Amino acid sequence: MPARNILALCLAALCLSCSRWDLGLEIPFVATWNGEPLTCDSADPALTDLRFYVSNPQLVTAEGKARDIGFTVEMPWQNDVVALVDLEDGKGACQNGTAELATQVVGVTRAGEYNTLRFTVGVPFRLNHSNPLTASPPLDDPDMHWHWRSGYKFLSAGVRTASDGFWIHVGSTGCEGTVGNITGCRFPNRIEVELKGFVPGESQVAVDLAKLTSGVDLSDGMATDCSSGPAEEACDAPFRAFGIDFATGRQDGEQSVFSLR
Amino acid sequence: MNRLTGSLAVIAGLLGLGLWLWLQDTGWRWDLPDDLPPPQVPADNPMHWAKVELGRWLFYDTRLSGNKTMSCASCHIQALAFTDGKPRSIGSTGEVHPRSSMSLVNVAYASRLDWANPLLDRLEDQALTPLLGDNPVEMGLGGHEDRVTELLREERYSQLVTRAFPNDADPHSLLNAVRAIASFVRTITSFDSPYDRYLAGEAGAISDSAVRGMELFFSERLECFHCHGGFNFTDSTTHVNTRIERVGYHNTGLYNLDGNGAYPSDNTGLFDMTGERRDMGRFKAPTLRNIAVTAPYMHDGSVATLDDVIAHYQRGGRRLDDGPYAGDGRLSPFKSEFVTGFELSDDERADLVAFLESLTDESLLNAPDLANPFAQ
Repeated sequence: MPARNILALCLAALCLSCSRWDLGLEIPFVATWNGEPLTCDSADPALTDLRFYVSNPQLVTAEGKARDIGFTVEMPWQNDVVALVDLEDGKGACQNGTAELATQVVGVTRAGEYNTLRFTVGVPFRLNHSNPLTASPPLDDPDMHWHWRSGYKFLSAGVRTASDGFWIHVGSTGCEGTVGNITGCRFPNRIEVELKGFVPGESQVAVDLAKLTSGVDLSDGMATDCSSGPAEEACDAPFRAFGIDFATGRQDGEQSVFSLR
Repeated sequence: MNRLTGSLAVIAGLLGLGLWLWLQDTGWRWDLPDDLPPPQVPADNPMHWAKVELGRWLFYDTRLSGNKTMSCASCHIQALAFTDGKPRSIGSTGEVHPRSSMSLVNVAYASRLDWANPLLDRLEDQALTPLLGDNPVEMGLGGHEDRVTELLREERYSQLVTRAFPNDADPHSLLNAVRAIASFVRTITSFDSPYDRYLAGEAGAISDSAVRGMELFFSERLECFHCHGGFNFTDSTTHVNTRIERVGYHNTGLYNLDGNGAYPSDNTGLFDMTGERRDMGRFKAPTLRNIAVTAPYMHDGSVATLDDVIAHYQRGGRRLDDGPYAGDGRLSPFKSEFVTGFELSDDERADLVAFLESLTDESLLNAPDLANPFAQ
């Protein structure tokens, strides 16, 4: 067989393997309030902010076999490690937001029968202490960086009701070392999400702010905020909703904020 | 000409050329007392006169705040030793900061920055918080970062940018603006107070009362120098010859809200960064240089005068009888072992204040090269 034919066969095999092994994924995210879509223009409550970093995405088969999803590079929203989801459009109650939206993460994995989606809300430690003035997108947004704590806000969210409000910034705290040489953080505060019943191409991930604020008094007229600082009592309930024990900064239960729809 | 003289001529020529180049382009020379080592400077941001001058303009430029109402100098006023005279600083949007503006004097020698941030040891990193921080909003530049690029392209700045960052492909960046501001702030040094002149041998530079106050300050009875020690009157000091870096944070017994040492929740000091209970209420000892012009005192500006500060330490902690912060700080379990209280007569207190006033450096408060260039 001439060498040219062998080459053609090989190329054909390679293409076959592409179609057989690769599953392209576009995973949409939507903000909700008790299951109903929530936007910056919603009446009561209104979204005031919802941005978060997604990393370590995986799909899991019925047999429990986990496969990594590789992010495709989609500048400026995602590099191959971390994606920024931005569900605020700067309108209405989202006063300090931006018009640009990033409503999905995009990736690829091996073809297969999957029924569970996993991901982490957070920036991996090795990238979390980058300088936002020199980091590449999506880690170059100074608004998503905690300059004095060193590291990114993994999640920045808020709602406003007619007479009350709530906002939360989640990120690693209790970090040690110095900026540029951070050696570790006592309270990692990364949110691990596992969503069963995921159907590629059909399922959306809902982020329900009513679940997030279920333990927060949104009727006392006293705006509540949580910025992940130690002993901030206002953080206990929302962190519980993320499945995190706020006293340790580690996940010890199921999160209830993210679900499929 | 034989070979030896030829070689000597070449060597002399090279030396001359080297000397000429050195004089032309050292970029920066510190103006410091002879016996004082220069401060540490990050390797990626060496000092250069053009950078310092650019930084001075930027330090005083209100366009670095979101609503163009305030500059770095709004909270760091030269005549007040680069503090703002307020108990707590107020940001560009009116938000009140939990803390009092820190003096920038000799901050180049600080081993850590801010009142209680163990992570920050470079001004280049620290500057991002007042510029971009949103909780609280200080200058509120977040979302307006592009304005910095426009600013640096303006004629006044672009020539300095070219001199300061000659090898940078993209020199009109926020990163370089921050580098320039940090370089300028490193030049805010103060070592020419009457006390310094007294140490240098000028016997009449400070009053007899101040000399007695100096002896009290450095006594084991008062213990002031344990935290406010060294040439910069703070134990968090570093310089190019530092071998072992020292950082000190101290609870001075200002608050004891719950009998267990709690501080007001928006101002817990080092605890806010580490989450360790033992760090409750621990703050950095600020430099005492120019302390007489930086009232009110403490991290939250809650002590009005130097007399009151001394009374606080004399008692070994502050007792507040009413209000939300009531409690006896003297009984705090987290209090520093150096804050135990002491006996002090009225005359001795006056002597101690006279000594602290002898640390005021008029040349710093009036230095033209640290002043607002827009007004010159």
